[in-house]
Amino acid sequence: MTSGMRVVGGVLALAAIVGLGALSQVPYPPEPPAHAVIRLTWRTRSKRVDECRRLTTEEQAQLPAHMRREEVCEGRVLAYRLRVVLDGDTVADETVEPRGARADRPLYVFHEIPAPPGVRVLDVAFVREDSLRGATGGDEGTTGGDERATGGEDSAVREGRAGRVQETPAVLQFSERLELEPRQVALITYDPERRALVLKGYGQTP
Amino acid sequence: MTPFTDRTRRLAQSLLAPADGLMNRLYTWRFNPLYHSGAVVVVLLLIILVTGIYLLFFYRIGAPYASVERLADQWWLGSWMRSLHRYASDAAVVAVLIHMFRMFAQERSWGPRALAWVSGLVMLFVLFVSGWTGYVMVWDVQGLLLAREGARLLDLLPLFSEPIARTFVGERELPGAFFFLNLFLHVALPVGMGLGLWVHVSRVARAGLLPPRGLSWTVTGALLAMSVLWPAALGPAADLFRLPDTAPLDVFYSFWLPVSQAMPAWSVWLSSSAFSGVVLLVPWWARPALEARPAPSVVNERLCTGCTQCWVDCPYEAIAMVPRADAREERVARVDPALCVSCGICAGSCAPMGVGPPVRTGRDQLAAVRAFVSRNALDAQVVVVACTRGAGGVAASPEFQGAPVIPVDCAGSMHTSVVEYLVRSGAGGVLIVSCPPRDCWHREGPKWLEQRLYHDREAELKPRVDRRRVRLVYAGLGERATVRAALRTFQRDIGALEVARPEDRVELDIECERPAEEVLER
Ligand code: HEM
Ligand code: SF4
Ligand code: SF4
Repeated sequence: MTSGMRVVGGVLALAAIVGLGALSQVPYPPEPPAHAVIRLTWRTRSKRVDECRRLTTEEQAQLPAHMRREEVCEGRVLAYRLRVVLDGDTVADETVEPRGARADRPLYVFHEIPAPPGVRVLDVAFVREDSLRGATGGDEGTTGGDERATGGEDSAVREGRAGRVQETPAVLQFSERLELEPRQVALITYDPERRALVLKGYGQTP
Repeated sequence: MTPFTDRTRRLAQSLLAPADGLMNRLYTWRFNPLYHSGAVVVVLLLIILVTGIYLLFFYRIGAPYASVERLADQWWLGSWMRSLHRYASDAAVVAVLIHMFRMFAQERSWGPRALAWVSGLVMLFVLFVSGWTGYVMVWDVQGLLLAREGARLLDLLPLFSEPIARTFVGERELPGAFFFLNLFLHVALPVGMGLGLWVHVSRVARAGLLPPRGLSWTVTGALLAMSVLWPAALGPAADLFRLPDTAPLDVFYSFWLPVSQAMPAWSVWLSSSAFSGVVLLVPWWARPALEARPAPSVVNERLCTGCTQCWVDCPYEAIAMVPRADAREERVARVDPALCVSCGICAGSCAPMGVGPPVRTGRDQLAAVRAFVSRNALDAQVVVVACTRGAGGVAASPEFQGAPVIPVDCAGSMHTSVVEYLVRSGAGGVLIVSCPPRDCWHREGPKWLEQRLYHDREAELKPRVDRRRVRLVYAGLGERATVRAALRTFQRDIGALEVARPEDRVELDIECERPAEEVLER
């Protein structure tokens, strides 16, 4: 091997190792974000309703003897409607369904809304489907007809028991002016103690 | 192999060959890092293991970032231990990708090698997951980005009753169990890699697990120097309530983050699954069509004397010595077709020419060389015997620089009696061009060839053959110039010798209980 080759070999090895070091720590993102973020995130248990129906005599006759009964009930956990308005613009308007294969798990909200820094007016409404009509106030919607809340799944709200702390109100609202700095995350979450949407974070690490 | 596969492979070879050639010129074939890429990974894994054990003493699940920060501040040891751990992990990704590319280009992915291909990919995946969990351990900005993006993707699978992404949104404090689980994975997965490596090389004999010492120390020294002179940056601590500022990102492990963050989770899954599927299935889509696949070796049990040489030499442990069916006492070789890659190296091992892939046994080679000699007037000129896989590609044409060329499918499969026959039939010299030992597509061809030619390894070139008229040179696929130069030098050296004279009747003694001629006649 000539000494020229040796030099080239050394330089190439050096370039490879420096390249490795450089690629190991590439600045990202290239530009630091200038905006702030409003993060909506909470998990709530919604109300479970059983819709029951009396079986006709013929229907009962068709069932095997050991499974015969007078009524059949189908349980369902109610969804919520989420509406987010930022400075008068609707930035989210969607139905939040219960999770899980049988749609009987808690509801989970996660939304990140980029917002320019400065003073922002945020309005959030989270309303259970059975309270949607004209739901603006803080009172809980009542269920009517032949719906019946039951103490079924753990994930659903057990209505009619003592201490209903677990239950999420049918209507949750949050309305506030936020002063956002660049890159700040304003976290709106549900506080089960206060049973309300609250502002958290705002700069501190939990 | 479809035309598309064939083109892909050719493209891969056309990239690999010049790169190999350059490395050979710069570092010599002995230390060519591309040849040793798989073994370099092993060295890097050892570095990662040693430095990782040190780091483990200082890591605190309760205060992850602070403990790493303390390490980074320990300039006399902790800082460079941490950097070495990190740079070796980065280098491991690069080395694995080169190794993988090499195996693909050299058609070493299908048949009995499919196990190595698939287990290699599993190890690569484990390497990535180990890297990701390693960054999450640090819990700096990059760790948080990885954790959040990973959680977002995992939440698409019906694995968890509630979204794990919730862990990183700031709603609650991070559970200590999270860092514990992460640390557990980061330690347990690499341990599993040891098992993976065992499976990975289970089908090769004498696996070359370590590169030459000089290369191992150079790699270690270079990474160490980097770690001391340019310690790896530590990003700002993860903060769930701030969008990350510009922070260092490790391209080798987090290359996918910017792309993935911009895509819906389902399309990340879809595209990465499709890509992984294509790579994982290389052993099936990139293999030759059934009729074009080289057949495995067979043993002619009548000729086999039970010497065990092929059993020793087979680079893929495809041969077993088993009791004979007939009355003879000695054992007989038996090839397991499921393990045989049809390299033909056993054909070069067998003095009585009793084993080898169909039409490529020693006897077939001898018949072919006889036909060659009767067709071509040797006229005391140099004959080139060249490997079809490397040797600067000269085996592709019947002549190179005016010298007749005999192609062999792996120089290690050539029986030395071919050389003897050529020299005794009046060739001025025989220039054998093989791939450099660490480049051999069949792993050990050039190694055994060299020992048979010069060190009396069984099936040796007989002492009566004039060694001045035999020369072995190494040249990879991209090293045509090396072959040209070697040929010119050899021709000049041969020109200085007395003119070669053919023997009247070339008799070769083939070690067998039967007379050689009778064997050859068959
Ligand atoms: C992740 C770490 C890996 C390590 C440490 C590693 C190491 C090795 C070593 C030491 C050998 C034996 C070389 C020899 O003696 O000939 C080998 C063979 C092999 N490797 Fe890997 N490898 C890794 C990943 C991969 C990957 C990702 C692939 C491809 C997808 C791969 C494909 C192969 C194949 C096909 C062989 C067999 C070659 C043959 O039979 O001719 N390896 N590897
Ligand atoms: S090298 Fe030949 S003779 Fe020896 S065991 Fe193998 S097949 Fe038999
Ligand atoms: S051709 Fe011979 S040496 Fe090569 S793998 Fe098959 S049995 Fe082993």
